Amino acid sequence: MQPDPGFHPAETSAASEWWRGARASLPVMLGFVPFALVLGAQVTEKGLHPVVAPLMTGLNFGGGSEFVALRLWHSPPHVALIVAMSFLVNCRHILMGAVLAPCLADQPRRRVLPALFFMCDESWAMALADARARSGARLSLPYYLGVSACLYLTWVSFTGLGAWLGPVLGDAGRYGFDMAFIAVFLVLLKGMWRGARTSLPWLVSLLAAASVYLWQPDAAWHVPAGAVCGLACAAWQGART
Amino acid sequence: MIDTATLSVIAGMALTTYLSRILGYLLLRGRKLTPRLHAVLDTVPGCVLIAVIAPAWVSPHPADLLALGLTLLAAMRWSLLPTVLIGILSAGALRHVLPG
Repeated sequence: MQPDPGFHPAETSAASEWWRGARASLPVMLGFVPFALVLGAQVTEKGLHPVVAPLMTGLNFGGGSEFVALRLWHSPPHVALIVAMSFLVNCRHILMGAVLAPCLADQPRRRVLPALFFMCDESWAMALADARARSGARLSLPYYLGVSACLYLTWVSFTGLGAWLGPVLGDAGRYGFDMAFIAVFLVLLKGMWRGARTSLPWLVSLLAAASVYLWQPDAAWHVPAGAVCGLACAAWQGART
Repeated sequence: MIDTATLSVIAGMALTTYLSRILGYLLLRGRKLTPRLHAVLDTVPGCVLIAVIAPAWVSPHPADLLALGLTLLAAMRWSLLPTVLIGILSAGALRHVLPG
């Protein structure tokens, strides 16, 4: 079949790729909602103006660091401490960006740098899993942006809603909604499974993170601790093979 | 309405978080990855995700541990949506049956 002259395959596929990403993000959006509501409610619980919730989540867009920031929040907040802990929680992004770099080699920097603002655990894992499933080393940027737009809007608007509703929500954990977060991560982990080779670093990371969490439950040290121990184990495995 | 310290935290977090997102890309762009580095970068993301949810594995509440086990089984068999529903329902029900 001859394509008609007015047909732009690149344009059409970009739009359909965007929508494919938007559709794929739906279950993750559902997982975001209870967390966003709880995070927003914590903002007003700390005596902050409700607009702080969408302001923080809109400019930062990293749930882990935002939960940590609010847990460490006192009046007045210790700026350096909170920013440093937030960066520690987010230091995993450096590794994630490095993993993405080869898949984005064909894209110009001026498109990649703004797009990376939206990189979170979920959008990163989905875009990477999608690139691998389609047996290509190239990331579909429109697919990634479709996922990102939906997750970003969900996160920012529902944290704002949570702050506005505030104490009316009460303790969401009582109803089991917090398990949605765990479920999302378990499913993402299943997608990252690379056979028995991955099991040892993952186990090391889990044990290290759990031990550090039992020792320091209030700080978020368990995340970088687990990541670094898992990385060391993977490097050791790599050196032996 | 919002004090300077709060705005400083928000600005500092925004800046450092964006930096964390672009650093790996900027530093490793256009470089040839060794097989070992590639294997490490392939394994580490799972390490990070498992570290984030590690607190759930050492919860002192039996209901939460049972719900985690059921959610793990669900994740191994089914896709995201049923897993999320099983997670929420099992945690809600088990916490009701086994309080504390």
